[in-house]
Amino acid sequence: MSLRETIENKEIALIDILDVILDKGVALKADLVISIAGVDLVYLDLRLLIASVESLVQAQQVNGKTVSSEQFNREREELADATGQPIEWEN
Amino acid sequence: MDRLIYLYGLIPRKEEGQQPLPPLKGFDGTDNLYTIPIGDITAVVCQLDPEKYSEESIKERVNDDMEWLQEKAFHHHETVMALSKIFTVIPLKFCTLYKNPDSLKRAVQSNRSNMLYTFDLIAGHEEWNLKMYCNDQLLKKQVSGSNPVIEAKREEISQLSKGKQFFEKKKLDKLIESQLEEEKNKISENIHLHLKELARKGDVKKAWSAAATARKEDMAWNGVYLVEKSKVERFLEQIQQYEKELRENGWQLEASGPWPAYHFSSFS
Repeated sequence: MSLRETIENKEIALIDILDVILDKGVALKADLVISIAGVDLVYLDLRLLIASVESLVQAQQVNGKTVSSEQFNREREELADATGQPIEWEN
Repeated sequence: MDRLIYLYGLIPRKEEGQQPLPPLKGFDGTDNLYTIPIGDITAVVCQLDPEKYSEESIKERVNDDMEWLQEKAFHHHETVMALSKIFTVIPLKFCTLYKNPDSLKRAVQSNRSNMLYTFDLIAGHEEWNLKMYCNDQLLKKQVSGSNPVIEAKREEISQLSKGKQFFEKKKLDKLIESQLEEEKNKISENIHLHLKELARKGDVKKAWSAAATARKEDMAWNGVYLVEKSKVERFLEQIQQYEKELRENGWQLEASGPWPAYHFSSFS
């Protein structure tokens, strides 16, 4: 496989997408102007959400326990309640 | 009330004649994308319900609904990406919306010459991004161990009394920090300048803080390059080469692409 293909097939991080589509792209005069409060701020919000889920998973791994999916979902819901953010994903 | 027009990208009209637009779902997931010819330029768009997508409601979701933003950002990216695999595309910014086709036509017509110039620039090229990270601890050891300025300062300090040493050591730490930043910039800039030679164009973007990327270290460099398709492999090999050489000094080089030419088709 060429280097190009290897990199092309890598999963793209959201930050890379935001870095590109919010920051640049032709600023053609539009009728609706959607101004976005700095990409880093948007991304920081998102990181906090992701990080809180990740640290939950890691904490479980450190404890050496296997997390059952029910238990995980329950804790995820608790986390969602705590942060006031809906967390959904497809199974 | 007219339906809103969401503009994804602009393509040369002659390319549309050669290959039809593939079926792609629009921003709200129901209607398909379609094209609006405007002279020798074709706009690729979808329609949106103005009641559901007012300026206010989009702003609110962008700022408060991270999941929505994530989903729609991916949608925008994937759609423009699919177009750029088939056509020469000028990609538009996320959420570029017009109240009706006439308004879109006016905006495109008034920028026609810029757009034709941009098509020429980006045709047959790809946009690539390189983010460089550096583990400060490793580089710091090197800098503080091999830098003559720092060596001399250390020698000087060892001659002082204990009390003075304390303050002088603080100063030395600051000196090391600034030498470290200088060293990082020097290495990054050298790589950037060399890569720029292999590309048609190269630019420096804002580097992200560690808080934004959730890495331990700040981003040292964020570079973007417009590379001729036939030269991409060579370009990436060069990055791989640098990565190998610098890895043991704590550097990480992360290339991503190919991107639609967001950076290099920007004019305003």
